[in-house]
Amino acid sequence: MTSVPHAVAYPRPWRLGAGTQRTLIRIGTGVLLLVLWEVLVRWLAPPFVARPVTVARALPHVLANHVPAGTPTFWGSVEATVIAVFEGLAIGVTGGALVGLTMGRLRTADRLLRFYVSAFFAMPIIALVPVMTLWFGYSNTVRLAIVSLGAFLPVCLNVYDGTRSVPSSFVEVAQSYHARWWNVWFGIALPSSLPYLLAGFRLAVGRVLVGAVVAEYIVNLKGLGSMIVFDSRTFHQPQMMVAVLVLAVLGVAINGVADLATRRFLPWYRRSE
Amino acid sequence: MSAVQAHEPKPRMIVPQSLQGGLVSLAGLAAGAGIWELIGRHTQASSFAPFSETVKALWSITKSGELPRALESSLQLFGAGLGFALVIGFVVGLLLARIRLLRVGLEPYILMLYATPMFALIPFILSLFGFEFRAKVIVVTLFGVWPILINTLEGARSVSADLLEVARSYRSTEAKLWRHVIVPYTLPYTMTGVRQAIARSLVGMLASEYLLAATGLGNLILTYTNRFDTARVLAAVLVITVLATILMAIGRAIENYFARWKAGV
Repeated sequence: MTSVPHAVAYPRPWRLGAGTQRTLIRIGTGVLLLVLWEVLVRWLAPPFVARPVTVARALPHVLANHVPAGTPTFWGSVEATVIAVFEGLAIGVTGGALVGLTMGRLRTADRLLRFYVSAFFAMPIIALVPVMTLWFGYSNTVRLAIVSLGAFLPVCLNVYDGTRSVPSSFVEVAQSYHARWWNVWFGIALPSSLPYLLAGFRLAVGRVLVGAVVAEYIVNLKGLGSMIVFDSRTFHQPQMMVAVLVLAVLGVAINGVADLATRRFLPWYRRSE
Repeated sequence: MSAVQAHEPKPRMIVPQSLQGGLVSLAGLAAGAGIWELIGRHTQASSFAPFSETVKALWSITKSGELPRALESSLQLFGAGLGFALVIGFVVGLLLARIRLLRVGLEPYILMLYATPMFALIPFILSLFGFEFRAKVIVVTLFGVWPILINTLEGARSVSADLLEVARSYRSTEAKLWRHVIVPYTLPYTMTGVRQAIARSLVGMLASEYLLAATGLGNLILTYTNRFDTARVLAAVLVITVLATILMAIGRAIENYFARWKAGV
């Protein structure tokens, strides 16, 4: 932001390092936001509404599974949701990558399927949750189907885009060395669309979490989604906010792991800043 | 695939939308409808309805006025929510880009909120704002605002220093700098978030209709499901799919329009 671009920054002994300063600012803003939340809710909202203080007070009880009898336990809910999310991601990402690759390499597959994939991608998947209760009953299958579909679509479309943008010279060189189709598909097209796959994965994580929570709520499955609804209906908002926090952490953590993996395994790929 | 074949011209690449391609796409659609019809005829009526029944149901809920009313209510909610998301995302994004303290302080929290499934916050919003239209608009905005905000922030941060320096050396004020440099430069970046904002706002629309006051398309889906009226459920889902496809096409058109502008700069 300096108007003199080549000004040299001399280290000044009484100044904090840029990193420390940044951390301090972040912590300060965080504290400020919490105080703001506390004050506003105390001032404007009914007493049962969650405030940072009540959430902090509820946190140890929830983490220790100390909840009133008959209510869903916290760690059981976390486990159910996390397992469903990872199963869905595994199924959806694998399937999405394969179908996207096929659509990118085979024109006929592209023409047959593109309409369906982009229509399902555009629509909110949660519109299907009620219908799926008619198909699969009030079972975990609904959640698995929703979550897998939520992961499948963004990955499929992104891998498709990635496969389409493979430089044709790569393919031509490979073919002139008598590469077989699977060499082109899995040796060239798939690796070169990995950055696209990762972009799709990031979208998928968000959709999968929403899908899991909505399914748990509507189908009333054990999980964080039903815990949130149960706690909010029984006026246990601080407990509910703990579940919300876990979901946020889950989203950030999965994306963080994906980032780490990118840096570790795809060092040649830099996300644009 | 031999080496010789690879050097042959590929006519299909040169003529992307050939008649043949259109026919294959049409065949795909027809096959989809056919499979739908077959599955529908060979399953229980309470779990799946054939395509023809769905079309009939669609016609009947259109004629009865149920569907148009729901569509109107849903679109009002969606439009208001997305509108706020656009304005708030753009303004906040610009502010964050220009004021370093705000950016450094808020960025991690914004990314965290972006990753949080907003659906989980609906009960909280319910307790603060009730369950009427206002609360639902807030939900839709909360779903849709993040892609706009983040893309605006990235765009406004990438304004080249040259442009700013030239403007400054002509003694441009901060207000003029915004009007003539930063806003026009950033807008195309903002618009790359529009499609995602549309998609997320649609999810927010349905989610708020499911969880807050049941209205619109979400209410139709829930009501018909409870009645095991599969044909009507599928008709409502079909309407949402078509609506989403149209909205995404509009989003794509907006993006392309601004991308052309960006390329022209």
